[in-house]
Amino acid sequence: MLFRPWPLAPVVKPTRHSEDQTAGQTRGGRRPLHERDPGLVEDAGPSADAAETGTTIVGVTTEDAAVLAADQRASVGGGRFVTNKDTRKVEQIHPTAAAALSGTVGHLQQFVRVLRSESRLYADRRGDPPSLTALSTLAGGVLRSSPLAVSPLLGGVDDEHGPAVFTLDGGGGVLTDDYAAGGSGMQLAYGVLEQDYEPDLTPSAARRVAARAVESASERDTASGNGLTVATVTGDGVETDEYNAAGEVA
Amino acid sequence: MQGTDQQAYDRGTTIFSPDGRLYQVEYAREAVGQGAPVVGVRGADSVVLAAHAPDRSPLAADGDAEKVSSVDDHVAVAGAGHAADTRQLVDLARRRAQQERVRYGERAPVAELGTAVADHLQEYTQTGGARPYGTALLVAGHDGDPALVEIDPSGATQSWRADAVGSGAGDAIAVFEDGYGPALGDGDAIALALDGLDAAVEDLDAADVDATLVTGTGTERVDGDRLAGALGDAS
Repeated sequence: MLFRPWPLAPVVKPTRHSEDQTAGQTRGGRRPLHERDPGLVEDAGPSADAAETGTTIVGVTTEDAAVLAADQRASVGGGRFVTNKDTRKVEQIHPTAAAALSGTVGHLQQFVRVLRSESRLYADRRGDPPSLTALSTLAGGVLRSSPLAVSPLLGGVDDEHGPAVFTLDGGGGVLTDDYAAGGSGMQLAYGVLEQDYEPDLTPSAARRVAARAVESASERDTASGNGLTVATVTGDGVETDEYNAAGEVA
Repeated sequence: MQGTDQQAYDRGTTIFSPDGRLYQVEYAREAVGQGAPVVGVRGADSVVLAAHAPDRSPLAADGDAEKVSSVDDHVAVAGAGHAADTRQLVDLARRRAQQERVRYGERAPVAELGTAVADHLQEYTQTGGARPYGTALLVAGHDGDPALVEIDPSGATQSWRADAVGSGAGDAIAVFEDGYGPALGDGDAIALALDGLDAAVEDLDAADVDATLVTGTGTERVDGDRLAGALGDAS
């Protein structure tokens, strides 16, 4: 009698849909998280009760540090009603980079989580956190390709730029300058910055300039107010403090 | 007859043998046994992972080839067996750790990460046309408590106080069974880990060891001098 061997196992494509595919994948590889999983930066659509930050955000560079400042108000209806008076809008992203954020609160919180995780994944894979070029390009790409309604300033220090501030927009644009402002209080803040900014400020003076710019804007922009958050980024790290008034900033 | 039957049951991961075995998974374990050994020792508040990572030739340029890889801030992973399989699983662990961060806003517990990777390994024992991963991983982490988890090619997980995978693992484990004690300090854990690795490898050279210490404050590569010192004390 002829022995009939068992048939070879049929070649079947794994049907399990898993975002963790490694073998045999065409859409995986060592890409950033948000490219493998666009759901991380998607948006289900407008929500009537989504809080906005309105906001005034400011970034100022000095020779040794990048300073970021923001107000602490969250509101609905563009400043019609204040929903939070203690909103953190300046967040560290990685050891030598931070962001000041305006836009829909939920979106900017997700944006921070995603940028932080992308930075950590980058550092795990490559040994060091992303340079400011890499981080700002990645962040611009996320904003361009996703519906997240966030307009951030990035501030940080790296070898190529030294201390630097970048303005990012929903089109993925990345623009650098010695100082910048954003949010609904932007124009009011620029008024102060154009007067008070000088190229050779100390970090301490830069913090006071940034704080004054935010505070002045908060006087007239109803979507900005309720105190200040100020972060200083150097090659050694990020220090963040909260204040009730610009006069307290040193 | 049994020989022919075995040959027949060899070829698919989707086929059990009549005596309930998945031969491809067992053969994957054989591949693990060929790989350079990795040991792990859990101390009172830290975990050490040490891997034997010899240069294949004097021409090899990767003097500092990463054999123990960091995952997020609080975990280190190393594997024994097929290096490329290990590399893919390390990246999987890294991605999962960051996805957890985005989803929950906090670090993934070590057991959770281990299970996520292990689930993935299990899928490749139950899928036609794909082979299991030829690697066993040791996952060392600290999420409030030190933790050491072994993941084998079947996707089974096991927590250990001390463990070894790869060639000579049995010899290392024998050393751990003798020498392990509760409440090991960092230095003692490193020394015991090197002790075990020394038993697994003939003529161990400290320069061929890649070791990482995981504590509550993060992961840190153990530098060559400290390794050489600990190895000197071990023998």
